[in-house]
Amino acid sequence: MNGISFTLNGREVTYTGSAADRLLDVLRRDYGCTSVKCGCKEGECGACAVLVDGVLLNSCCVAMGAVDGAAIVTMEGYCKTERFAVLDRAFADLSAVQCGFCIPGMVLAAEALLAKNPHPTEAEIREGLSGNLCRCTGYNAIVNAVENAAKEGNGLW
Amino acid sequence: MVNGFAPATLQEALAIRAAQDVTPYAGGTDLMVENRRGVSYLFLSKIPELRQITVDDTCVRIGAAVTFTEALADERVPQIMRDALAGIAAPAIRNAGTFGGNLGNGSAKADSVLVEFALDAKLRLVSLSGERIVPVEQFYLGRKKLDLHSDELIAEILLPKTGWENYYYEKVGGRNALAISRVAFAGVLRMENDRIVDLSAAFGAVADTVLRLKDAEGMLIGKTVAEAKAAKEAFLSRYEQDLTLTRGRVSAEYRKAVCLRLLQAFLEKFGI
Repeated sequence: MNGISFTLNGREVTYTGSAADRLLDVLRRDYGCTSVKCGCKEGECGACAVLVDGVLLNSCCVAMGAVDGAAIVTMEGYCKTERFAVLDRAFADLSAVQCGFCIPGMVLAAEALLAKNPHPTEAEIREGLSGNLCRCTGYNAIVNAVENAAKEGNGLW
Repeated sequence: MVNGFAPATLQEALAIRAAQDVTPYAGGTDLMVENRRGVSYLFLSKIPELRQITVDDTCVRIGAAVTFTEALADERVPQIMRDALAGIAAPAIRNAGTFGGNLGNGSAKADSVLVEFALDAKLRLVSLSGERIVPVEQFYLGRKKLDLHSDELIAEILLPKTGWENYYYEKVGGRNALAISRVAFAGVLRMENDRIVDLSAAFGAVADTVLRLKDAEGMLIGKTVAEAKAAKEAFLSRYEQDLTLTRGRVSAEYRKAVCLRLLQAFLEKFGI
């Protein structure tokens, strides 16, 4: 029986468990990617969002069999990039992080948005982050941080 | 892989579907919420035949594993459908959710399915022994009740290329993003030589399946706008009388009131 092979933050891995297992659970339990948060298991909060072949997906709604051959990026890998450094600074400058639980998903949603649209309007940022719930900040600081990152990181995206 | 099959072609997928007890898996956004134990999935998202949007003389044909994000970005997809897709959940869900999955989940709250009802869409269902073309209203029979044989897969959704231009679409949810429809409405009006030649009014999320009252729709067909205006009161009271709604997350009374307001807004948009 063949396993499910994919790259996780650039590293090749093979998962031999059930194809019906949740990507969210496997990332946390088998690969120690605890930046991927479990908020709802219903695709309603975005805390478990990861990039699969560059596309933002809620990992709670992805079965392992669907990621065979894919390239998956979580915050554990993304935090080593130059783009992350820009987002990190912008979030810190504007105090866009409070408890932090939603932030890994929020930052990856920002990455997915900026990769497609390097100079988004405020409305486009709000739409890009609309699947990520935050119960602390009231969103404005986060939206402003992404706006600043887009300016500061000019050319990176 | 354990508990799953990931075929590369439609032919292979149909052979597995016929021989094994499998659950077709496209985007996973509904299936993984259910997270059934001991299930074996047939993964369809890498099958090229199911991932295309094509156009022929009369139809826009959307592959069952095309995602909402892909269809939103494709100008060949009727605007009424793209309006509905834009209101579904949020980007990460639209990146995964598919047309086939929205149908296969068998919920009357499926926003893409509502538009399919309003447009009299047809579905192409395939199996090893051939294919069937089925109107969506004959396919979608009730909650989780679909006319899909155990060896069949949904291959394509066939939408009319034209005829939908005069439309009204509205979704009423608890908030803008990540909201399940409380009531959703899609209406289409087709005029020729100043007369209504076709009218559809479809209501989503209010009963076991998407509702259309064909007899009531017929009341305005053949009429001019002025004649339709004169018949409007009778038309609306027919809906008030005949729309049978169930209670869900909100009461049946609330649903009925919103349905009638949306129907009225649809008529008003076209001067009726």
